[in-house]
Amino acid sequence: MLSNFGITFLSITFLTSFLLIYLSFNELKTANNKIPKKIYNFSSLQLIFTILSFLTLLAGFVVSDFSMSNVFENSHSTKPLLYKISGTWGSHEGSLLLWINILVLFSFLFLFYSNNNNKKFQLYTIIFQNFLIGTFLIFLLFNSNPFSLLFPVPNEGLGLNPILQDPALAIHPPLLYIGFVGSSIYFSAALAALISKVETKLFARVIKPWVSLSWFFQTLGILVGSVWAYYELGWGGFWFWDPVENSSLMPWLLMTALFHSVLVLERRLGLYSWVIILSILTFTMSVVGTFLVRSGILNSVHTFANDPSRGLFILTFLILMVFSSIFIFFKYSTTEKNTFKFLSKEFFILINNWFMVFFLLVVLIGTMYPIFLDTLFGTKISVGPPYYNFVLAPFLIPLLFLMTSGPKFNWISSESKKIFDLVFFISLFIFLAILFIVKEKNLIVNLTLIFSIYLTIQSLNDFYKAFKNKSINLSRVISHFGFGLLIFFISINHILSIEKNFNLKVGDEKNLSKFLIKFENIESYKIDNYQTIIGDFQILNKKNLIKKNLKPEIRIYDQPKTMTYEASIDSNFFSDTYLTMSNVSDSELFNIKLQIKPFMNFIWLSVFILSLGGVLNIFKRIKKV
Amino acid sequence: MKKIFLISTFFFVLVNSVYAEVDLRDKILKNLRCLVCQGQTMSDSNSDFAQTIKSVVDDKIGHGFKEDEIYKFLSDKYGDWILFNPPLKKENYLLWFLPYFLFIIGGIVIYYLSKKTQIKRK
Repeated sequence: MLSNFGITFLSITFLTSFLLIYLSFNELKTANNKIPKKIYNFSSLQLIFTILSFLTLLAGFVVSDFSMSNVFENSHSTKPLLYKISGTWGSHEGSLLLWINILVLFSFLFLFYSNNNNKKFQLYTIIFQNFLIGTFLIFLLFNSNPFSLLFPVPNEGLGLNPILQDPALAIHPPLLYIGFVGSSIYFSAALAALISKVETKLFARVIKPWVSLSWFFQTLGILVGSVWAYYELGWGGFWFWDPVENSSLMPWLLMTALFHSVLVLERRLGLYSWVIILSILTFTMSVVGTFLVRSGILNSVHTFANDPSRGLFILTFLILMVFSSIFIFFKYSTTEKNTFKFLSKEFFILINNWFMVFFLLVVLIGTMYPIFLDTLFGTKISVGPPYYNFVLAPFLIPLLFLMTSGPKFNWISSESKKIFDLVFFISLFIFLAILFIVKEKNLIVNLTLIFSIYLTIQSLNDFYKAFKNKSINLSRVISHFGFGLLIFFISINHILSIEKNFNLKVGDEKNLSKFLIKFENIESYKIDNYQTIIGDFQILNKKNLIKKNLKPEIRIYDQPKTMTYEASIDSNFFSDTYLTMSNVSDSELFNIKLQIKPFMNFIWLSVFILSLGGVLNIFKRIKKV
Repeated sequence: MKKIFLISTFFFVLVNSVYAEVDLRDKILKNLRCLVCQGQTMSDSNSDFAQTIKSVVDDKIGHGFKEDEIYKFLSDKYGDWILFNPPLKKENYLLWFLPYFLFIIGGIVIYYLSKKTQIKRK
């Protein structure tokens, strides 16, 4: 029943995108400068039907309609309601449907709210966007149909992967997808701008809010994903340089480069081709990311669903997309003369782009190189955190310094500014005070500390100035402030983290230099859809004599049969105490891992502050329009 | 005065920067991939395989092996797949040097863009 509805809604959506392309092409020939009502109507209709198809799948999950194979494979009738709902986008098919919903939503929003009085540009954007919608719909209907039927109808479903049954992971995919798919609109707009030869300034104005919007959601999506990895995977880390994490970082780096260079395009009308290329690349990278995750050619902690035929489709689509973009670019792009004064604001934005693209290339090479090596020579290598830390960390230092100094310079002019000012000396004093406490000896870490403090203090200083005169770019100040804090707290966290591994029996005690750990008790019982084993530990801090009780868990799920290890985290304002336990096979011993992780909450908060700058940027635009 | 302060601070930091001592066992385990898991490090993994490797590493450290010798021993046995830090071999030259090469290219492009200050703008 529901399945038929779903397929019908999807078919109507496909039909509307076909019609929208047809009507828009026809409209291009007329002299009239207004987009006709029927295009708006079809766009609304398209949005309504795609949302209906999504709601149909959602309903299937909520009522546990196991006649649909997707519900059967990813849900179970005893699962809590929240995870039945999030199960809708927990699978490949469901998340692809969500992906299409967002594509349609953005197409709709662009048509209705980005009124820029350039009909040709607007129509071409809708055409390209609907090409994307149509292609993904074909993929969905013929390869990954979430509404496929199953006969005979099973009584019970297989259940959702337990580590996905988590509130943070319920909202992580929607956030990330708004970021990923949001970039489609400036991909379409960039191609449209080339063909319709739109005025540079207008193009910059039109794409700017969309770049900020997708950047904001991408940042939040990455944040929620990291928070999830931190408490759910039970390793005490929050970023593993895992290929799947990398594929969410790559578009983010490009978006960051893009909204900096859009500023140059808007103010100086320079970098037009570069902005176009970045717009195209960002969405391409999003699709590359999807390809890497969905095709299963990666070995990652996050690969949950994969199938080679999907990979093949996405790869074919990717190749077509890249080649047609290249064709359009070279056919329509005009030569421009870009010149920049040394030490002008636009010069520093170029430097920003230089670093962002470098970071992107490092992540891209690190992610793809093992795949190429494996395919070409059959040699398997791993590229992990040591590689990224070694290559990237030294470049953070000049980046932080440039983020501090760049904004001080003016547009066009080449006037030099004082760089090592009072703020820098205050920062140095703060650094020395911190060094006195933490006694860090690594040069790179120390330099990173100095320059992250400098950026933070300088941003505070700018913030103070912003109150006195209104001319300062507040969203820049907030985002740079957040980034300074982020790097600062990550460094401090890196220096002060403690990790201890040991084996204990129930009733045993472990005496460490700063802590005394007692394994007091163990309990086991059945909850909802899993069996749990809970350890009871008491941790005594020998210095301040504070006692903490922590209860790490081992969970054994039956649908599907998996074991997960739940960390017990005591999070106070400044520091997290993180305890995990796991059974050692053939013995009554448990392997215990105690980690002290300072400033974790500050790391999350910094990313949140960083993202706020993006929101401010959107609102600023809306107010101006 | 400021300059003296600046120079002396950097000097202080530099002198202080002898290689930091870390727990060797932790460091080694964090650089090893748990082969039976999905992208986990040996240090983070609870699998039986990881337990075995942990005791092998303990044993090697006990016998006075150096860090590099332990990596060499494990990669001879399990292949380079086990090392999260890809060794600097001929087939990995591109991995290690391409990023820096591209960074330099980018720098040259920016240099040429910003050099021609006096040429008339569009």
